[in-house]
Amino acid sequence: MTSFSEVTAERQIKSGPLSHVSVELGHLYMEDFQAGPDRLRRQFAAVAPWLETVRRSWQSRTPGGRARISTCFLIDDYFSRFSTPSELVPMILTAAAENDLVIDYLARESACAEADGVKLAKLVEDRLVPDPPPGTRGWRPPTHETGWLANGTRSPVAGSGQAMKTAVRWEAPTQNAKRGHSIFVDVELWNDDSRGRTWSCPFLAAVWQLLRLGLLRNEGQLPVQPVAVDGGFPTSWDNLPPVVKLNSSATPFSAYTTLSVLSTRFLQVELAVRTILSQVSVDEEVLKQVLSRSSDEDLRLEEELVDRISYVFL
Amino acid sequence: MLIMGEVRTGLLQNSAEIEERDHQAVLGLLAGERVRMSRRPIVYAVSPDLLTGVDCRLPSASRARIRGVGTVVSRSSITGGRVLQGSSYVRVTRGEVNYRLPWSHYLARPGVVEVLGKVSGPDVADGFLAFGAPGEHLDLGSVSDRFMDVVQESPVLDLRAPFRSNRTRLRWVAETGEPGVHFTLGEGQERTLKVTHQGEFSPAVVDLCEDLALHDWLLTTLLTIVQRARIGGASRPEVSARLAPAVDTLLHLWMPGARIHPSLAALWESLERTPGFSRQWQSLVERIRDQLAVNTLALLRETNG
Amino acid sequence: MLVFAISDKGGTGRSVTSSNIVYRRALQGQDVCYLDFDFGSPTVGAIFRVSTASRGTTKGGMHRYLEGEIPEPTRIDVWTESDRDAIRAKPAGAGQMVLLPGDEGGGEFATFDGEMLKRCVRLFAGLHEQFDLIMVDLSAGRSFAAHLALAATAQLPRIPARWLVFHRWTRQHIIAANGLVRGDHGLLDVGVEHGHDRDALIDRIRFVRTAVLELGSGDFAHLRPAQRSWLNEIDRELRELATRHGVGLTTMLGKVPLDPVLQWREQLISDDDVAGTEIANPETVFAFDDLAKKIVDDTAWEGL
Repeated sequence: MTSFSEVTAERQIKSGPLSHVSVELGHLYMEDFQAGPDRLRRQFAAVAPWLETVRRSWQSRTPGGRARISTCFLIDDYFSRFSTPSELVPMILTAAAENDLVIDYLARESACAEADGVKLAKLVEDRLVPDPPPGTRGWRPPTHETGWLANGTRSPVAGSGQAMKTAVRWEAPTQNAKRGHSIFVDVELWNDDSRGRTWSCPFLAAVWQLLRLGLLRNEGQLPVQPVAVDGGFPTSWDNLPPVVKLNSSATPFSAYTTLSVLSTRFLQVELAVRTILSQVSVDEEVLKQVLSRSSDEDLRLEEELVDRISYVFL
Repeated sequence: MLIMGEVRTGLLQNSAEIEERDHQAVLGLLAGERVRMSRRPIVYAVSPDLLTGVDCRLPSASRARIRGVGTVVSRSSITGGRVLQGSSYVRVTRGEVNYRLPWSHYLARPGVVEVLGKVSGPDVADGFLAFGAPGEHLDLGSVSDRFMDVVQESPVLDLRAPFRSNRTRLRWVAETGEPGVHFTLGEGQERTLKVTHQGEFSPAVVDLCEDLALHDWLLTTLLTIVQRARIGGASRPEVSARLAPAVDTLLHLWMPGARIHPSLAALWESLERTPGFSRQWQSLVERIRDQLAVNTLALLRETNG
Repeated sequence: MLVFAISDKGGTGRSVTSSNIVYRRALQGQDVCYLDFDFGSPTVGAIFRVSTASRGTTKGGMHRYLEGEIPEPTRIDVWTESDRDAIRAKPAGAGQMVLLPGDEGGGEFATFDGEMLKRCVRLFAGLHEQFDLIMVDLSAGRSFAAHLALAATAQLPRIPARWLVFHRWTRQHIIAANGLVRGDHGLLDVGVEHGHDRDALIDRIRFVRTAVLELGSGDFAHLRPAQRSWLNEIDRELRELATRHGVGLTTMLGKVPLDPVLQWREQLISDDDVAGTEIANPETVFAFDDLAKKIVDDTAWEGL
């Protein structure tokens, strides 16, 4: 009996504070930066009324109208590096302020790959449980070992096969959960080359969603704690904390739900993100914690992860 | 409705027992999760639980076409730094709809396989325990095998095991009822176990099945070594040399019921009455010790001769 | 230990010799298995006289396993399933003898992909857990079977692997055997391409001469002096040729004499075939026994 409790006692999962909703006000890539500050200003101007709508909607759902809404902004420093934090961050903040928007948290995209020594992308990769096509009996190694993840069955590959046997014929790919017809999605998760592994944009965006939902743990601990930056922003991206807390009175970074206000050019990326997220198995213990917190607040959360994520495409 | 699983047991492919500190590297199959360990009365380490998605026919004694969709829970464990187990199980339930739902629905129910359409629990259980042709139905054993293979591929292991051995396959089903246990030794490496327990199913039942599989493997493997040693047929030094790996590797691993929850201890005890695992083990151990003692004496006589 | 049996040309007696080596190891108390990787002609069941697999199995064999259609290839326990009484009588202390046949109607693969390679690696690693000797009978010549085996062993550096190249004692066969090992796209080239070290791989390759006529033996007593001296001359030339082509005595693991039983009916040679019915020659069994021991004898495999 001693040994039994000895084994089970060791697993302890930390729980973190949560807002009601985490609103992503934007996502900055090199091309946005190159287009100049006007583009950013226009984007914030378009976002502002949506944020207001979200705020009112949550206020009406919470007792005393005390909705906890945190806002965040993501800058790409993973696929291409441009400018410096000391130059870029004040520019973003100014553009936001001009539209009466407050950015609570600022995150670097590379944080979704690795932050504070924790390989977040790897945490999520190991938790992928691929959507099994009919006929999956469990003995084949998972298909995502190839770096691709689909929502169905791929077309058979021609070219292999045995000598003097009928050649493989083309067949249509099919979606596993199709309704009559298929919308087959196949997402590249990463590619490897001599410099190592590069995670794909949708994969990092999936990590980003899980981080905002507070569903990731590393050895039971919460990875990536937002940090305030004193005395100006650094001149190197590496010296900027993975997630910066810009507003000292902000509600928690992670939330029960997320809303991302994005340009329609991200539509395909987000379809890919949802394809990935619907195949991630989050730790049961963590899910239970979040559920019990929300029910303590008389809040009913959607059972499935992808239903806690919403978008406004502009 | 029905819980069923398969445990596969084999020898860890390393020349020596692996060190305590190596268990994390060998069993750490999920980033960000620690391998859990207990040290008393024997070192036991277990990987985090892992899920595998399935959508296939379930076994059926009446050959009914039963389609199930969901996830299998698996884990790998190492006992005494020597014996490796891969263990998988599912909880079979009736789905609310007769068509397949989006995958996120099933992921929200880890370890559950939902049947699309009608199903009879005993029919599936009997079909499962019958060991049909591999690969046609939900194949929990192969899932377990895969998680053993992943461990054996670890670069920490030198693949120089002290002797060759077979993996055993133990299939089990568990249901609620008057407590009881029924173990059957099948052909070759196949074994079945029916467990009836009081109250709700708990992972402690899986622990019981794994512990039984472990001791059945120890007994099976020791029996093979003794048979192959050709006591009385081969020369004394040959016999001693063939028995030596058993003494070095296996004899101290026998600890039946060490990790069993007290509520299930009575089930182990009934297995000790029939078929009487420990009795057979003891008699084998005594036979080995006697042989080695006799052979050593003979050797001493020759050298002093 | 993995042992790969290969020959450049067909008709060398590769399959029958490697089957007999496996049989001898089992009689010596080792657990052995035999994998039919002669994908274009999966007929090794016939040598073991297992009628259910004489043209490959219908229950899912090596082809379907490697293509990912089944979780594990069918295994046949030769001691219980052989049709020959002499084989079915498993002596006390003998090891397991298991045959893993190809599929009936299976063909040579046109290529292999990463998934097939993974399955092959997993198969070899799993068998290593259970068997002392894993004999893999490869298709003749440059084949995908050989390519797959080289790629798989490159990923399993901790499992000892050895290669036996079978050839007959003729000019054409000696040149061909050397070409298969050292020629363009031969075993060494392809091995290096997959990560093998060239020198280490050379040390793991030995040659086996088959259907050898022993000139000193009584078989030649009836020859005229002119014939005998001609044969001696040819043999001397072949020995020179073999040495020049790296197929000489130093790289030779053993030789198997010409035996009518092997020529006309490829089969396992039981002790009864020699001592009882006397249809096979004792020298043949001696050669198999010798090869079976040398395969695992490290002194026979020291670097050259």
